[in-house]
Parts: sequence; C-alpha cells; structure tokens
Amino acid sequence: MNDAPQAPPGPIFPRWFDRFVKLLGLLLAGGVVFAVFMLAYAGSPSTLNVGYQPDQPVAYSHRLHAGELGIDCRYCHDGVESSSHAAVPPTATCMNCHATVRTTSEKLAPVFSSHRTGLPIRWVRVHDLPDYAYFSHEAHVRRGVGCVSCHGRVDRMEVVYQHEPLSMGWCLDCHRDPAPWLRPPEAVTKMDWMPDGDARETGERIRRELGVDPSTDCSTCHR
Amino acid sequence: MTASVVPVSRDTSPSRDNTVEDPARRADLVLDGHDYASVTDAICGIAERKETPTAWKIAFLASGGLVTLLLLMIGYLVFTGLGVWGINRPVGWGFAIINFVFWVGIGHAGTLISAILFLFRQKWRTSINRFAEAMTIFAVMCAGIFPAIHVGRVWMLYWVFPLPNQMGMWPNFRSPLVWDVFAVGTYATVSLLFWYMGMIPDLASLRDRATTKVKRIAYGLFSLGWRGSHRHWHRYEVAYLLLAALATPLVLSVHSVVSFDFAVSQIPGWHTTIFPPYFVVGAIFSGFAMVLMLIIPARKWFSLESFVTARHLDNIARIILVTGSIVGFAYSIELFMAWYSGNAYERFAFLNRALGPYSWAYWSMVFCNVFVPQFLWSRRIRKNVKALFVIAILVNIGMWFERFVIVTTSLSRDFLPSSWGHYTPTWVDWLTFLGTFGLFFHLFLLFVRWLPMMAMAEVKAILPEPEPAPAARPEVPPVPAGCLGAVAEFADPETFRIACGRVREEGYRDFDAYSPFPVHGLDRAMGIRRSRLPLLVFGGGLSGAALGLALQWFTNAVDYPFIISGKPLFGLPAAIPVSFELTILFAAFGAFFGMLAANRLPRFWHPSFLSERFRRVTKDRFFVGIDAADPRFSAERTGPFLASLSPLSVEYLAEHPAEGR
Repeated sequence: MNDAPQAPPGPIFPRWFDRFVKLLGLLLAGGVVFAVFMLAYAGSPSTLNVGYQPDQPVAYSHRLHAGELGIDCRYCHDGVESSSHAAVPPTATCMNCHATVRTTSEKLAPVFSSHRTGLPIRWVRVHDLPDYAYFSHEAHVRRGVGCVSCHGRVDRMEVVYQHEPLSMGWCLDCHRDPAPWLRPPEAVTKMDWMPDGDARETGERIRRELGVDPSTDCSTCHR
Repeated sequence: MTASVVPVSRDTSPSRDNTVEDPARRADLVLDGHDYASVTDAICGIAERKETPTAWKIAFLASGGLVTLLLLMIGYLVFTGLGVWGINRPVGWGFAIINFVFWVGIGHAGTLISAILFLFRQKWRTSINRFAEAMTIFAVMCAGIFPAIHVGRVWMLYWVFPLPNQMGMWPNFRSPLVWDVFAVGTYATVSLLFWYMGMIPDLASLRDRATTKVKRIAYGLFSLGWRGSHRHWHRYEVAYLLLAALATPLVLSVHSVVSFDFAVSQIPGWHTTIFPPYFVVGAIFSGFAMVLMLIIPARKWFSLESFVTARHLDNIARIILVTGSIVGFAYSIELFMAWYSGNAYERFAFLNRALGPYSWAYWSMVFCNVFVPQFLWSRRIRKNVKALFVIAILVNIGMWFERFVIVTTSLSRDFLPSSWGHYTPTWVDWLTFLGTFGLFFHLFLLFVRWLPMMAMAEVKAILPEPEPAPAARPEVPPVPAGCLGAVAEFADPETFRIACGRVREEGYRDFDAYSPFPVHGLDRAMGIRRSRLPLLVFGGGLSGAALGLALQWFTNAVDYPFIISGKPLFGLPAAIPVSFELTILFAAFGAFFGMLAANRLPRFWHPSFLSERFRRVTKDRFFVGIDAADPRFSAERTGPFLASLSPLSVEYLAEHPAEGR
C-alpha cells in the first residue's frame, strides 16, 4: 500500500450493529404499515368530514322544529324540488312564527336583530361539495332519494352535522346501484319512512316507475 | 475463464492499437499491463482524491446553477399554469413530450450495455457499463420530470398510480399513457437495482481503502457488508445473469411503450406499426452517442485510456453506425408506406414534414442521423477521438430533432385544415430543457467524484491471471484467546482454487473462499450446489404477471367499469404492456432481494473483518477462511494445515481478548 494515512484497525461496525439493523428494518416495515393505515383510515373522508358540526350563529334546534314540532323540511328549505339548491331560509321565514312565538327569547336575539336591520344571518354551511362537482337537489328529490339518505336523521340533531362522507366514491355507490335507496317521491322528506318489506324490491319498482337511470359519466357531475 | 487457465504473459508493448483483429489471439481490453492492484488503485484513486479538482468545482457550480434554473422554471410553471409554455391547441404536447422521449431514449444505452452485451458475452462492456448505467439512471430522472409537470396539476400526479381512493376511481389501463408510467417506472427501478448491485463489490473496495471515518461508514453502509465470499459471488452471478436476462426485454419494451403513446393514436404520421422498432433503435442510437459524448472527455480527464481503449470507442462507433443506418432505413420506410398506403392524410403528413413549415427540423434530423454517421464507415474516423466526439454531439442533436419533428409536425397539421396551428416554444420551454441538462451533468459529476466509475470487479475478471506463486509455507502465529477462525491469504487465483479444493477434501464444511472478483471453477472445488435463486425469480415473475392481469381486470372491468372510446372493459392485448412490466419488476425484485436474503446480507460485522490483511480481499488478494464453528476446526491443527497450502500468510481471527467470545 502507499503512504496514505491508514484507517484505524478493526471492523468498521461493532458487533451489535447487525441486530440494530434488523430492528431498524422491523421499524421501517412497521412504519409502512402505519403509513398505509394513516392513508386508508385517517385520511379518508369518513374520518375527516363525517361529524363536521360547526357552531351556528343561532342556537337553532332541528330536533325541536323538524322532530318534535314536525315541520316539513320544505317549509324552510323551499325550492329543493324545483332547483338545484335547497334554500337556506331568509330571516323572514323564521319570523312567520317568531313574530308571535317566544318574542322575548334571549336565544332568538340574532334573528330579531337580523329582521330589524335587514342584514341576513350568517349561517355556517355544513354540507359543502367541491366547486367542480355539480349537484342538483331537484334531480334527486324528485326521483325518490330521501333527505335522510344524504343528511341523516336531521330530526334528531340538536345541531346539524355531516352524517355521510359525501365523497365521490360514496356518490358513485348509489349512482351505480340506486335501488336500495329509493322511496316514493311523496315520502322524501319523511325522516322515519321505512319500506314495506324489502328495500330493494320497493326501490326497483320505484326505479321502473320514475325511470331512474343515473349516469356515471364524468360529465354528469363535472360539467 | 476455466479452471485450468494457462497463464499468459501480459503484453506490455507500447502499441496501444488494439483495434487490429488478430485471429491468433484475443485483443486486450485493458492495456498497459494492469494487474488487480493497479486496477483498484486507478479506479478508486479517482473517487479518493483529497483535493477536489478546480475544473470539477466549476462544472459542479455551473450545472448546479442550471439545476436552480430548472427548479425556478418548474416553480414558475406550477404557480402560473401551463400557459407559460408554448403548447396550445392543436399542439398540446410540445417540448415536454419531445424532451421526455429524448431523455428516455438516451437512457437506453446503459441497460443495453449492461444487459444485452452481457448476455452476448461482450467483455468490452466491463469498463463502460457502470458509466453507461449511471447515465441511464440520470437520463431517466430527467425524462421523468417532463410528463410529471406536463399534467398541469402536479399535486394530483399520484392519480396515475392505481391507489384506492375516496373517488372510487382507477387509472384507465387501456391508455398507453398509463402503460408509460409502468414502463418507465419499471425501467428506472430495474436499472437502479442493476446499477447498485453491480456496484456493491466496488463500494466494498472503496470501504476497505477509506481512511476517514465518514467515508468508512458511508461506503460501509452502502456496500452492505460485502466481503467477497465465494458463496455470495455464486448467487450474485446467478442474480446478475437473471437481471440481465430480465432487463433485455425490458430495454426493448420501454421505448416500444413510449412509441405506443404515438402509435396507438390516430394522428397521421403517428399511427404506424413501424414505431416500436423504429423508436427502440433510435433510442439505442442516441444512447450510445451520449455514452461516447461523456466517455471521451472522461477518459481523458481521469486518464482512463488503458481501460476505455481505442477498441471500445471503435465498438461504440460501429453500433452507432449500424443503428444510425437502421434509423435512416426507418425514415425511408415511413415515406414509402405513406405513399404505398394510398392514404391522403398519411401522404400529406410526410410531405408536410419534408416540405412544410418545419422542414428545417426534418432536414436537420436527416443530416445528423442519417448522413453524419456514415462517416463511421471509415476506420480513420473511428480512431479519431475528436471526430467521434463531434459525431456523437451531432447524433444527439439529430435525435432531439427527430422527436421534435414527430411531435410537432403531426400535431400542428392533422386531418382538418381549419384546426391547423403552429407551435413555437417559449423561453420557459427552452430554459426548462436547458435545466435538465444541468441536472444530468450535476448528478454525473457527483457520480464521478464519489462512486467507482468502472466495474472494477468485472474488469479484474477479464484480466489475464497472474502466474501461480511458488510453493511457500509461512509461519503460523500463536493461537489467540477466543479464536473465531483462521484465514489464509493468497496472491493468485490458481493457488487459491487448489487450496479451496484441499480444504474441502480435508473434511471442512464451515469454510469460505473470499476473492475480489468471482473466481470461476470454485463451485465444484467448494462443493457449492447450483443456487435455487432462479426459482424465486420465476415465482416473482409469475406473481407479477398475475398481479398485473388481476389489477387491470378488477379495476377496469369490475370495480370501475367505464367505457372509453368503445373499447372493451378488459382486453388481453391492452393488458399486456402493464402485465409485462410488472412481471419484469417483480422478477427483478426476486433476483435482487433474493440474492441479498440468501447471502444473509446486509451483514456489517463478520469475523473476517477482524483481520487487517483481509481488507485487500476487495483489491488483489484471495482468502480461504475456516470458521471455528466447524466440527473439524482445531486451532492447533487448522493453522498449520492452511500454511501447507502455499499461502502468503495465515492468520487467526479473534476479537480483543477482553471482549471474549
């Protein structure tokens, strides 16, 4: 060898290093499993989006109004059968009753103030689809898809939260096989409606009657 | 080499012309009388330089500047949008795809040299294969950038992979663009494995010569504890051969699949069956030109003329001549078929190429690719390094123009004159392209500075064997406490081979032979049975094929049935490319990881590393080691026995006595 500086004697790595490398390999394998779990479970819309329950400016209870008092969904969310949007009601809708009911309630102060000033109440949107997804309430509600299918038992929610993932795969599940989710159009807003007998049988019948044949083309939703 | 090699005295004559064919003897592939030690010193010496050469620093900074430019251009593109490029209707592909095909093409020479020339036993490949493989990997990296940024929304790129997702969607496996992802991905992975696997013994050489702590640990980690064991070499050679056999169809498939991006569409000038072979040969053509372009300056700067000889350059030049002529033939066949098909659009497409607004590009292409290589018929030019360098540059320019012509002329004027357009690249296009050259050279400079530039172990295997040492009986040292085994050191393969046989005849089983390169004829002497690695590789290939077919059938026909252009949901012909690539990928994993697992590597600590002399096992010495675990081992008897085999030295292995056993 030449006169270059010599390396220190002995092996480069100590004897325990091989066991350490094995452990490292196991940790790495565990890390991969963990990453897959995180992506599959923690990153999925049913973990991230379901249960989204923002604070609303008014302590409005769907359980009281839609549940106990039995007000039909369409009383407030009108237009749901004739337009793509289900309207969030203006303050005037509240005042139809609250002009005479509980006029001194502390909880209703924001509603009265909105009514006085004409400034709308800033409701926080719960169910928000991406801008590139075109969704029509009319198309669904008039073909026998119940409110409950997408929004859950709103009549039992004190404060509304997101009940379904509203992911594309979830939409496609129904678009590919709508039958089990269909009901007579007159029952769409009935939260506790149950089919007589088999849901698929009923659904198939309704599907034939209404000609429900949902498309899965890209351009159906992404226009 | 065979077990009974007649030692040949090395030709140390001053003549360096090994291009002359002499039927009486094989031409030398390594000149200047190199031996095992001097090969190691020459190649490792390049990576071991204490002082970084100023020229290297300047080149590194310059290419680093271009890498910065590339990153800036990509950033500008991502934050602004694809409008910063010249692409628009009707030319939607432009520079991104031109440069992608250009770089992928360049990347073809590396694996071709490593794999196909290996299968054909072309021994001259050994001094250029490492170099060419590195070039391949860096070129594929440059290529991969372009389709990735061409998709527009870079952050959605993972959509090209079949990952389960909340959208319930899968990639469309009937599209050649998805085949491309699999082909280029497999190619990059297998090339990387091939490159790295070939480099393991050479990294061990660097490890054993390293003097600084950082280098010892870094080379030590990447060489996976390689110790030149013949039991390892045996599986290593099987795995290497299998990888070569797998990489050979892979090389041919990759550019075929790239050509499908064009050929499967209906655009006039693209929709032809000649595309796959025409692309593959063009890729080899440009790849070899790039090898020449890099190796000519490198052999001068690093004084590698005795390894990359005139004969090597001559061989490369011949391949360029042959492939260039095939490319020329393909151009003429394209013209002929356009005329012969009687298809008005096809005829127009080719007339437009030769006489239309981009005719300057077409004729540049013909000049560089067809006319220029014809000079290589001349022996004088093939031996003129400067002329070769100029030809290589021109060929690369020509091949870039070929991709420009194919992409631009066909897209800019298709069936409907009302939709014709003109494509002009913007400054962002040009600077991005320039930036990838920066990336390519930047990585290449890092490679030549820190890694073994030539496959030393393979070069050593093609050197003539030295004369067997005269009989000797070295002194046996006293037996230390906690003896883990004994090693005997040899200076030539023949004495070593005989010694291995004797050790086995003596009844030892827990012994091993260590050498700087695979010494042939040892398997029988040591009683090593043929490795079962091929079965594992076959299993890997089968599971890859099954996975490929199942994946495409399940995703496209069952879980996400979607009719596109009236194609069947699952059709075997369309499923072949992806299944093929996965077959190769899994089989290659089987070969590489199977080799490592069967050899129980990485293993960073081994008793033989206790010996100082053993560090030369990755340079020029051969060792026979007997483990203390062998039932016949007894320090008193085994040491003298080893000394009787004519070694240079005999040594007992023991840790520091305080540590004990």
